[in-house]
Order: sequence, then C-alpha cells, then structure tokens
Amino acid sequence: MQTNKPPLSDRLYRSLLRVLPFDFRTEFGSEMEEVFREQREETEHQKGFRALIKMWWATITDIFRMAPREHWSVLSMDAKYALRMMRKNFGFTLAAVLILGLGIGANTAIFSIVNSVLLKPLPYTDGDRLVILRQPETKLGTPDAGFSVGEIQDYRKFSRSLKEVVEYHNMTFTLYGKGAAYRVRTGVVSASFFDALGVRPFLGRTFVKSDDQASADPVLVLSYEFWSQVEGGNPKIIGKRYEMNDRVHTVIGVLPPIPQYPDENDVYMPTTSCPMRANPEMMAPRTHRMMNVFGRLKNGETLEHSRADLAQVTQQFHKAYPDAYPENAGLQTTVSLLRDDLTSKARPLLFLLWGAAAFVLVISCANVANLIMARMSRREHELMVRTAVGAGSGRLLRQLLTESFFLALLASGFGLLFAIGSVELMKDFAGQITPRAREIGIDRGVLAFTILCASATTIIFGSVAAIYSRQDVSSGLKEGGRTGSERESVFIRKFLITAQVAFSCVLLVSAGLMVRSFVRLMRVNPGFVPERVLAVRLNLNGDRFQKDEQRFALGARILSKLGTMPGVATAAVSSSFPLDEDNQYGGRPIRFQVEGNIRPELELAPVTAVRSASTDYFRTLGITLLSGRTFRNSDGPKDNPVIILNRAFAHKTFGNADPIGKRVKPIVNDGVWMTVIGVVGDVKEFGLNAETPYQVYIPFSQGPSLGSALIRTTMKSETMADQIRRTLREVEPYMAVVRVETMEQVRAKSVASPRTLTDLFSLFAVLAFVIAIAGIGSMLALWVRERMRETGIRMALGASPSNILNSVISEGMTLTIAGLFVGLVVAFFTTRLLGLLLFQVTPTDPMTYALMPLLLFVGALIACYIPARRAAKIDPQIALRTE
Amino acid sequence: MSETSGPLTPAMFHVLLALSDGDKHGYAILKEVAEHTEGEVQLSTGTLYGIIKRLLESGLIREVRKPAIKNDDARRRYYHLTESGREIAVAEAKRLERVVLRARSKRLIQKLSPAR
Repeated sequence: MQTNKPPLSDRLYRSLLRVLPFDFRTEFGSEMEEVFREQREETEHQKGFRALIKMWWATITDIFRMAPREHWSVLSMDAKYALRMMRKNFGFTLAAVLILGLGIGANTAIFSIVNSVLLKPLPYTDGDRLVILRQPETKLGTPDAGFSVGEIQDYRKFSRSLKEVVEYHNMTFTLYGKGAAYRVRTGVVSASFFDALGVRPFLGRTFVKSDDQASADPVLVLSYEFWSQVEGGNPKIIGKRYEMNDRVHTVIGVLPPIPQYPDENDVYMPTTSCPMRANPEMMAPRTHRMMNVFGRLKNGETLEHSRADLAQVTQQFHKAYPDAYPENAGLQTTVSLLRDDLTSKARPLLFLLWGAAAFVLVISCANVANLIMARMSRREHELMVRTAVGAGSGRLLRQLLTESFFLALLASGFGLLFAIGSVELMKDFAGQITPRAREIGIDRGVLAFTILCASATTIIFGSVAAIYSRQDVSSGLKEGGRTGSERESVFIRKFLITAQVAFSCVLLVSAGLMVRSFVRLMRVNPGFVPERVLAVRLNLNGDRFQKDEQRFALGARILSKLGTMPGVATAAVSSSFPLDEDNQYGGRPIRFQVEGNIRPELELAPVTAVRSASTDYFRTLGITLLSGRTFRNSDGPKDNPVIILNRAFAHKTFGNADPIGKRVKPIVNDGVWMTVIGVVGDVKEFGLNAETPYQVYIPFSQGPSLGSALIRTTMKSETMADQIRRTLREVEPYMAVVRVETMEQVRAKSVASPRTLTDLFSLFAVLAFVIAIAGIGSMLALWVRERMRETGIRMALGASPSNILNSVISEGMTLTIAGLFVGLVVAFFTTRLLGLLLFQVTPTDPMTYALMPLLLFVGALIACYIPARRAAKIDPQIALRTE
Repeated sequence: MSETSGPLTPAMFHVLLALSDGDKHGYAILKEVAEHTEGEVQLSTGTLYGIIKRLLESGLIREVRKPAIKNDDARRRYYHLTESGREIAVAEAKRLERVVLRARSKRLIQKLSPAR
C-alpha cells in the first residue's frame, strides 16, 4: 500500500510554520500549506530551480519577519484580557496579591540577609583568601587566648602558606580635639594590615612600614564614619592633629565606607603608637597574648595546607619554649577562613529563618492556588464556552498563565516594597549575630531572587490552571454534571487546605517554642534589681590615670559629687556591671587557692568575673548579701585585703563550710592573700541565658579599676540621664562618658537577639495562621455555595439544619485534623533544629505541642462555623430554584 | 476600521483590491496581486495570512463557507469583501487618485501611462 506522505519541501514548510503562534497555526496553518504547495509547484514547473530557491528564501524570511508581530498581538490580547479580569474580580486580585506579596516579601527580606551575609564574598580584594588565626587553650576552655608579639613574629617568619601575617587588637582611647573628649574605638594594627586586607584609602594613605617604628611620629587613619560624622567630612582633614595618650597624633588618611573587620573602629593606629602594645614589658614575654592575627593564603595554597603548615610551626614553638606552652593549658593554633568565621554564628539562625519564611511562601502559594481554583470553578462555564467556540486548549492555558504571571508580578512588586521597608529592621537583627550586617541591602541578587519567587509561583498556578484546561468540554457543558476532572480538582483543593494547615502547624509550634523559651529567659532572676538604676560606662585616658591613687581619687570625687545630687539614693563606682555589653565574656579565668588547702590548679574554680566595686555597689544594684558583710570605708588601700565571693564560687570552693574569715589568693604574678568577708547572691553577669559565673568582688579602694558608675535614683531613672552625664563631665573633663542607660535597658539589650528572632518567628507563624484559617473558611464558603441545590434537596428530604451544620463543619474539620496530624509529625522532626536556640525548653515541649494545634483547631472551627451556619439557614424552596 | 487593526498598508489595499471583483481563495489573491502589480508586490504566505487575519478581525473581509467555483477543493476557504471593506477600498482608491491628480497638476507626471 502506498502511503500518502507529502513531499519533503511541504513537510519543511509545515515545520517552519511552528514559529508562528499556536492560534494562528490552528486557524490558517493548513490553508497556508495548501497555498504554499500550489505556489511551489507552479514556480518549480514554470520558472525553474533558481526561482524556486528565491521563493523559498522569500518565504522563510517572511515567516520570521511576521512571527514576532503575531506573537505580540496574542500576548497583548491575553494581557488586556487578564487585566480586565483582574479589575473585574478586584477582591480576589487584592487578596491574592496581598497573601502572595507577604509570602514573597518575607522571603525577600530574609534573603537580603542571607545574600549579603552568607553568599556574597567579603568586600575586600580577593577576600576569600583571608584567614584568621586563633590560639585556644583547649584544656582551660578559653576559645582564644590571642597571640603574643613573639608568636606573631615567628609565624610571619616561619609560615610557608601565608603571604601576609598581620596583627590587630582594639583598645578604647580618649581623643581630645575641638575642646571635647571623645572615646574612640581604636584599631591597633600592623603597618601592612590594610594592604593585607586589600583596603585602599578614601583620602590620604594608610600605614607604611616607617609608621610602625618606635621612633616614628604617631599617626592615625580615620574610619569613614568617624570622618563624616565627627569631622563633618572635612576634605582638608589630612594633617589634622589630635591629642591622644598624651601625644600628638597626625591624621594621614581616611578609610573608604566599607564594613570594618573584626570590629567597627573610629580610628586606627600602628602597633608602636599603642602605649600598651609598645610597652617592652608587654612585648618581651611570649605569654603576654592579646592580639588577633590575620593572614592571607598564598596563591595556590589551600586552607588544609595552611593548617598543616601552621601546626608544624606551632610544634617548633612548643619545643623551643616549653614554659610558654604549659601542658595543662593545651594551647593550639587554629586557622579558618575569615568569611566562615564572621558568619559562623549567623548561619544556622539565618537558615532557620529562611526555612520559616519559605513555609510562609508555600502556605500563601497553596492558599492563592486554592483561590484560583475556586474562582475557576466559577468561571468554568465561561472557559468551557470559550473552548467550545474554538479557543484551543493551548490558548486557554496561555490565557490562564498570563493571569498568573500578572498576579505574581504584582505580588513580587508588593513583596519587594515590603522587603525594602524592612531592610533597616533586618540590619538591626543581623547586627546582633554577625559583623557583616551593614552590607545588607536590596541588590541585583535580591531582585533575582524575587523574580525567582515570582516565576515559581507562576509555574505553580500554571499547573493548577493546566489541570483545568485539560477538562473535557462536552462533559463540562452538561449542566450540574460532576465530571472526573472536577473530582480531581476537588481533591487538589482539599490537599492544598491540608498542606496549609500542616505547614502553619509547624510554624506555630516553632514560634510557640521560641516564645516559651523567651518567656523563660525573661523570668530568669538576674540577681540584681534593675528598676531605677542608671549604669554609666566610663572611659579613662590610661596615661592620665595610670596610678591606683589617681583612679581612687577620681572615684571618690565622682561618688561625693553624685551623693549630693537630688534624686540620687545611692551610687557606686566599679570596673564593670552586670550584662555590660563591653564585658560580654569577662576576663581570662583566674583561679584562687585557699589557704591551707593545696589542690592542683586545674581543680580550682575558674573565676571569670573579678569586679572592683565601691562600698555601695551591692546596695545600688540590689544584690543580696547572704552572709558576712559588704565593703566598708574602713577597707582602705593600706588595710587588710578583703574579698567577697558569690554563692556559686563559695559553694564550689568551700562546700557547705562557712567561708567567712578564710583567706584566698589569686594565682597570678603578684597575688596576695585576701580575707573573705562576705558571700553575695549570684548575678547573671554575662547574659540571662549564660551559666552563672564564678565571681569575686574586691573593694574599689584596694584595686581601683574605674569603668562604670551606677546610680540608684529615687525618681524615674531616664529623666536623670542627661543631668548625670553633665555632672560627670564637670567632675573630670578628661574622662569620656560613653553611655548612660537604665539597667532595664541594659537587660533588654542583652536579650535583643533572642527577642528579634522570637518576634520574626511569631510574625511568620501569625501570617501562616491567618492565611490557613482564611483558606479553610473561603474553601468551605465556596463548598456551601456549590452545593446549594444538593443542600436544598437534603433539607427537602428531611435533613435538619443541625444535620447540615454538622456535615459542613465535619467537611472542614476532617481536613484540619489531617493537616494538624501531618504538621505535628513534621514539627517533631524539624523543631530539633531549634534546639540550640531554646532556653530551658525542649524542642518537643509537650505544652507547646498541645497548645498550638489546639489554637489552630479552634481557629479552624470558627472558620468552618460561619459558612456552615449559612448552609443551615438555606431555604430549600429558594435553593432548588436557584440553579 | 477598528482601532486594533492599524492603518491600511499598500499590501492590505492590494488584497482588498483583489477581492473587489469576486470571492477568492488565498492562492488566487496571491497570484492576482503579483500579476496586477507586475511583480512589484510579491506576497509570501506568511504576510498574506497575517493580512487576512487582520482584515478578518476588522471586518473588512469575511470568510465564505462554500466554494465559489464548482469542483474546487472543499478545504479551501474563500474570502469576500464586506460592505465596509469596499468602502475602505474605494476611499483609499479615491485618495490615491487625488494624489495622482495632484502630481499631474504639478507636472510631476504628464499623463496616465503604463508604469515603466
């Protein structure tokens, strides 16, 4: 049998027609093929081969020329139609755009942090080759003991994997200029520090080798912020002189506006300008460790190579200087990429938040998909008619995709606005967990992400639409008939509802855990009474107040002045105060030996908080005295050295025995025996969620370290802040008053990070809750409307309103319960990820697992009841007539 | 003419012209336009059907279901110039006539002669 296959050229022409829009092809395709065939045959027979080639050429170029125009005309028609439909269904459009926009906005906002903090390279030249060195005392539990001058020099000399080895530490100095004293955070760095990091100056120059010589004139490089804020962006700043540490410092350069690592500083100086670092007593001993060390990997060197290389160098040190590396300290040198180091704390938090935000997006997508399906079931008839009159199913799909696309576009716009609006909030939040926070912003990466979100949602809705467009025309047109695909779509709608409930259940449980954990945190007794206490951070110019007597005298002056101020109940000066942000981890642990009790050093309790405090310190802060007495004026500088212990330390050291009158001595170079005169209650020095440290107090008179003043007021503390600040400035102009805060503010600040995290999680959970509940309600409302006639028949056959009510409610609650079940199972596994963030709450806290689903259950019940009541009130007469 | 279909292009005018003396199918239109313009306007299938689509949309022509000539291929669709299509074509022809008259009055061309 001979097949009737068209000749090759006609088949070629047919495939050429594929560049035209589907509709165009459907309408004119076969006719065009026919015309082409005739045209070709005639040309071939009458005009020859050359003419045929010419005709082909003309045909091909012609099709390609007209195709874009035809596509465009279809698209613009679809767009116009979509926009008209969206305007017509304004309520639907608004709901969908808001719900989706919130989902996309939450994701974009979190992504703006993830992008800037975790994904982007460091803002330094070749920043991914920068490494940070640390020297932990593994056996003493010190995460980083820092490096000594000798160690740094040796690493510089002997390491083969690092191109540069530079040091950094930061100090706070007082800068005098323009007649005022500024407390400036000062980065003390090697001359090649900025070169190693790849930072070029904005103005002037950075340090060169000759600046970092003992004989060099002191010079300063200003940060961009200090220059623009304090110096008003003075373009002639280079050469300006400041007084600092009793020496004149000349400004040689200004840094560009980039994030500074490892700390934000106001000014930078070379190592030889720092009185502490340049002190020969500091420089000589290998054990005087306090510097941070950074390096740059040589080209071709990997982190692993560098680790091996540095381990080898370190081993040589340990052999050469056994005294500096005692066995019981367990000193080691580690090296890690600066980028990872800066974000190690933020990474898990951000991924958790991103996960939560993704859940919100999934829920909003499911919700809007449901809305679309619901609306399409109302438009079903219209779509069927359009199919019947010849709109191809491809055309319909395209139409629906266009509508989804516009919806996603509007939602992304809304989401982007939401994200832009929350950038500052995100910066604040991220600032609590990573120094890279200030790089956060909406850039191309974030925009691309938003577009990705929009595309994903378009595709999801497209799929929903596709299910509809597959519907069988003839059965769809049959009035009231239930078709196979309708059953399919009802199933999908139910599935979407279940998914929404499940996802919001996970979010609610997570948020519930965070809230409970935060409440526990806030209930922690800090060990002091924060109400009506002002804490003032002070900073002294080290040189002017070098001697103990000078600091003691200044403390006495401050106290006598404050004592005469109206509104001041009691006042104290001290080295620091509880939850002080400048004293977050305390000092290096000091161990105390007890007279007559020789125990190995490592068995002694490490004291991380040694507080120098004036007599009224305990009264001012409301710290309870448990036994013995507090400091008195009679505990003078020349008197018998005394010490007060906190309960934890007293218990650890003396057990149940009474420590009063016993003598202890710190194991340090010039430690003296001190008599224990009292035991006070434990104070949460380093954070409400941190372990209570072992702590001791020494009288200010016997160890005058002046870092703060504390004032208990008789009136509202805030109102006195300015007055206190002024008074303290008058007492001593060479003392910088850094911060004046109430202790309540100090406490709130110490929990700012868990608070923001809890707030964000709760926000996401509330969004998810509202969306899911609204989803259930709207689905049931539609369900009721679709089944008006059926309900009417049932009522006519004798069903009571309560039967109807129950059946509608059970329809919704079955899905809710299924969703809750799935959600609880998922939550059981996912909330483990929260484990580390939770305080005194386990990730499987039974209370939360009971309460949160109950909340959802009740919410869903209310959402079901409203449409159910409407169904129960249906008048069968009217219902039967409506359809 | 509806606003969506845009201005009348010369090629569109030629298609209307071809249909002015009777219904024709696609290939016939193509051939007539080529012959009457002596090859000056050579329509390809793509452009031709692009024009037909637009003329149909704006109601200047319409499809005729039954073949106009006996024994012709039943699949073929014939196109018929509608009343408004005729009006448009006439208006365009008159406009062109006025253009020619004006050119003659300016002695740009002497008299009607075969374009050569």
